[in-house]
Amino acid sequence: MQKSEYQVTDIAGKLAKAFLHSPLTPLLGVFLLAIGYLALIITPREEDPQIQISGGTIMAILPGATPKEIENIIIKPLEKKIKEIKGVEHIYGMSTENVGIVNVMYYIGENREESNLKLYDKVMQNMDQLPKGTLPPLVKPFDIDIDVPIISVAFYAKDTSKTNQIKLYQKVKEIQTRLNTIKNVAKSEIKGGHKKQYNIEVDLDKLSGFHLSMGQIVTALKSLAINVPDVTNRTHDGKLVVFGIKNAIESVKDVQNLIIAQYMGSVIYLKDIASVYAGEDIQNHKSASIVFKQGENFTQTTPQVTLTLSKLKGTNAVFIAEDIKNSLQQMQQELDKEAIGYIITRNYGERADEAVNELVFHLLISIVIIAILLMFVLGWRESLIVTFTVPAILAVTIFVAYLSGQTINRITLFAFLLSLGLLVDAAIIVIENIHRHLHVSESEHKTMDEILIEATDEIGAPTNIATIAIILTMVPMAFVGQMMGQFMTPIPANVPVALFASLVIAYIFTPYLARRLLKKPQHKHSLKEEL
Amino acid sequence: MKFFENLIYTILESKMKKFLVIFLIALAFIGSVMMFPSKIVLAKMLPGKSANTFSIYVDTPSGSSFLQTTQINECVVDVLKKEESVKDIEIYNGMGSPLDYAGLVKGSSFKMGENVAEIVINLTDKHHRSETSYNMVHRLRPLIQSSCEPIIQGTSIKMIEQPSGPPTLAAIAIELYGENQDKLREISVSIKQILQNTQGLVDVDVMQDEIYKKFELVIDKEKMIRSGVSIEQANQIIYLAFEGMDIAVKNSENSLEQIALHLVLSDATKNLHEFSKDALQKKLSSLRLMNPQGMMIPLNEIVTIQEVDSNPMIMSKNIKRMVTIIAETDLVSQVYPLLEARTMIKEKLSDRYIINSSHLFDYTLKDKQTGEVYELVWDGEMKVSMDTFRDLGGAFIAALILIFLLMVIYYKSFALSGIILLGSFLSIIGVIVGHWIMDLFTQDTFFLTATSLIGFIALMGISSRNSLLLIDFAMSLIKNGMQKRKAIAVATATRAKPIFLTAVAIILASTLLASDPIFGGLGVALIFGTIVAVIVSLIFVPILMDNTKAI
Repeated sequence: MQKSEYQVTDIAGKLAKAFLHSPLTPLLGVFLLAIGYLALIITPREEDPQIQISGGTIMAILPGATPKEIENIIIKPLEKKIKEIKGVEHIYGMSTENVGIVNVMYYIGENREESNLKLYDKVMQNMDQLPKGTLPPLVKPFDIDIDVPIISVAFYAKDTSKTNQIKLYQKVKEIQTRLNTIKNVAKSEIKGGHKKQYNIEVDLDKLSGFHLSMGQIVTALKSLAINVPDVTNRTHDGKLVVFGIKNAIESVKDVQNLIIAQYMGSVIYLKDIASVYAGEDIQNHKSASIVFKQGENFTQTTPQVTLTLSKLKGTNAVFIAEDIKNSLQQMQQELDKEAIGYIITRNYGERADEAVNELVFHLLISIVIIAILLMFVLGWRESLIVTFTVPAILAVTIFVAYLSGQTINRITLFAFLLSLGLLVDAAIIVIENIHRHLHVSESEHKTMDEILIEATDEIGAPTNIATIAIILTMVPMAFVGQMMGQFMTPIPANVPVALFASLVIAYIFTPYLARRLLKKPQHKHSLKEEL
Repeated sequence: MKFFENLIYTILESKMKKFLVIFLIALAFIGSVMMFPSKIVLAKMLPGKSANTFSIYVDTPSGSSFLQTTQINECVVDVLKKEESVKDIEIYNGMGSPLDYAGLVKGSSFKMGENVAEIVINLTDKHHRSETSYNMVHRLRPLIQSSCEPIIQGTSIKMIEQPSGPPTLAAIAIELYGENQDKLREISVSIKQILQNTQGLVDVDVMQDEIYKKFELVIDKEKMIRSGVSIEQANQIIYLAFEGMDIAVKNSENSLEQIALHLVLSDATKNLHEFSKDALQKKLSSLRLMNPQGMMIPLNEIVTIQEVDSNPMIMSKNIKRMVTIIAETDLVSQVYPLLEARTMIKEKLSDRYIINSSHLFDYTLKDKQTGEVYELVWDGEMKVSMDTFRDLGGAFIAALILIFLLMVIYYKSFALSGIILLGSFLSIIGVIVGHWIMDLFTQDTFFLTATSLIGFIALMGISSRNSLLLIDFAMSLIKNGMQKRKAIAVATATRAKPIFLTAVAIILASTLLASDPIFGGLGVALIFGTIVAVIVSLIFVPILMDNTKAI
């Protein structure tokens, strides 16, 4: 053992030996850090991990049917058919007056596109079995990632004399079209909008006074509101002549002056029996409003129109939210002119960024604390070596996560935090053993290289086994079912990668850096460690 | 180090001391496991997380008008306006708020009708406010419910927090299956009362339509045929008059949408002056239909008015009729109220039903008179928790087996593998005691959660490494000719430093985890589990090593 060179037995020693003098080692280090940083920047960020929930809603309308009728002739047959689909976990039926709704939930983790297709297919195949008089059923698959908006903006009129509800709605509608062009914005929706319409509110007393029926008004209105495309005709010498009837309704005045009937010689106009005005959709009882703090006090309840936007799957919520915010800021002047104010009431992008940054910060603090601890126990050079391995390991892990199509979210970062305590271990064990070997009298006549390789090799086998053991404990977690299992997937997906990377990096870089930074002590005294 | 080496050596030399250590460890193990049944440590799937937003769902009884719902909304908003940390309040009347994770499973997007509303409250940033959102919800809930619910009898106001983990319908959901709808309604109401009286449960509601009075117009067929008008005509005119219809549309060049021409009776002449048959009768008398002869027929002459009950919605799950009763927990775990409510249900309903336990917590109820059978199934967050804990438990056992097999492959000895396994399993003492200690020091209850279990599973691997390092080193020392006990003591003392160092690294890395609401359990499990793991592997494992013949 004395003269003959130390025989490496473990992969640890082999790696240490191979990289100890290689000029590639520092390059590899820089390369790892670079790809890690790149991955941290470009990996999509979101707050909660994506959960695969597939399912959908089928709605069938049969006017005039009671809940029991709906249940018997629509819901039950439909439920039976849907039960035939493989992968369906629960079927919820709701039978109300006129409407039947079936909600289908697939097992969590079922392929979404396939599930949607199967559902659609099943309903379409059985269209003929729906009762007569049923309106074509509506099949709407739901999609947790697209359906949950990442940003919502409430628009309100600052000055109600300048901007009414309809103007507000029209403006938001315009903004919606503009924001929809932003990259990776998926679905947009408007809540609380009121459309423009001509309201014809008939006075019942006048109606009966003039001996008129509602039916007469309908007939009169319908006859007026017909639009026909232009007709084409030709002259004798073959030239084209185009002509058509101009739309009869150009403004609300045209409706007001509609003649409903002639009564005892005099003409009855619509305006005589009804108030006709251009207004908002009065039959729509849905409304949205907002109360917000202005300085110290709350404003009155103000009508608002909310615009919500969601993102495409696997895209970066932070960037999209930022883009939307910028676009809104660009419209600021335009909005001011129309006296429209807005409040961003939800910003998941910001929240995701905040959560991610906070955790990255935590990660950094943890690393610093561990570095300080090691500085006291092992010495600052040793501490520096261990501290370097951490970002390298994390870099590899993030890069692998990026390659496997994961996003950076709360759970991924917790997986990192969880593994942080574990992944410095390999480096600590290696450096501690090197440290011990350097200070043991037996190694006085050995060369530095020999000591480094031997120290690394010695603890190789138990460290490998121990790391494999930890990786093995994580593997079963990948098989936890249900929502919680889906939610937790980043842990079994990332911790093993981090641990494996920690092993390899500890074996490669710790001896290399130790050769650069540590010196063989010259003292000849005892074999005791310093503590 | 020499001191520690001697300490281990003296313990190994004395049978008495060895026994004492084993006894103490066994005592600690039993003591900590007993903390579960004695409710010193409480289990919950995921604790609450402080967010910058929460929602309030307002449900006035079916058949209420949007004006009544608005009245409740205003009341809620007035209470909220007094709050310092509220930034803005969004009110969505007659529809769900923009979809969020909670609303996704609570059916927010299906909400329609005049009797529903959702209010979203945005708070100032959680870093700039002293109160967590869940404590705020806890404080505001009784305030809002007591001042606003009585305005309209039967109103239900629910406070909805954003889930910290996967969303569920409710903390506790009871699904009641049975064919007889009226009986379902009756049982659900008694269960609702039981839940309302259970400590820790709030926002109890039965997910079904209330039955309200409505009027049915019965058409006199003979009169109708004689007067020459049709049922279709009558239907249309009634709808047109009171609901209104878009008769035609006008296209507009400077608008993104078509403009509808909406025909309806004016509010002043359409609204009844009171809720009664006579008022409706009077109103219908002035509404007339024109027959082909041009004669005007008052509507009230061809119909008779009857007051009837409304037809409530029929819900079904997996082709069985069902009613769901939901309840939320107020800062407590859902396990214990559930058990309490379960006992109460059996007690209260036993006089009319024969109650048998079926699967897990579920019951079957058999009507003593008619023999009809109803099933009572527990669902909601509870179910998800149970499933998760079961799956994680399975994962834990799988991890144990995998580690054992790995060790058997490595050492080719069952005894040594057993020592490592036992050593790592004992870290559970630290996990449980750690939660108890944290519970003592924190203001809110510190629950043992799903993440604690994950921490425990990870611990298994960590503590097995400690034992591995020890055994490996001791074996190589013995191979070099050292006496067994001496070798164990030297190995323990030498490896104490890296074991200690790595443990401190884990503990330090986990302290920041421990302050997180969701992953606190994981952090605490790691911190205290590691401490125990170190003690076990430095004192207990050497004893086991000494006792085995495998080394």
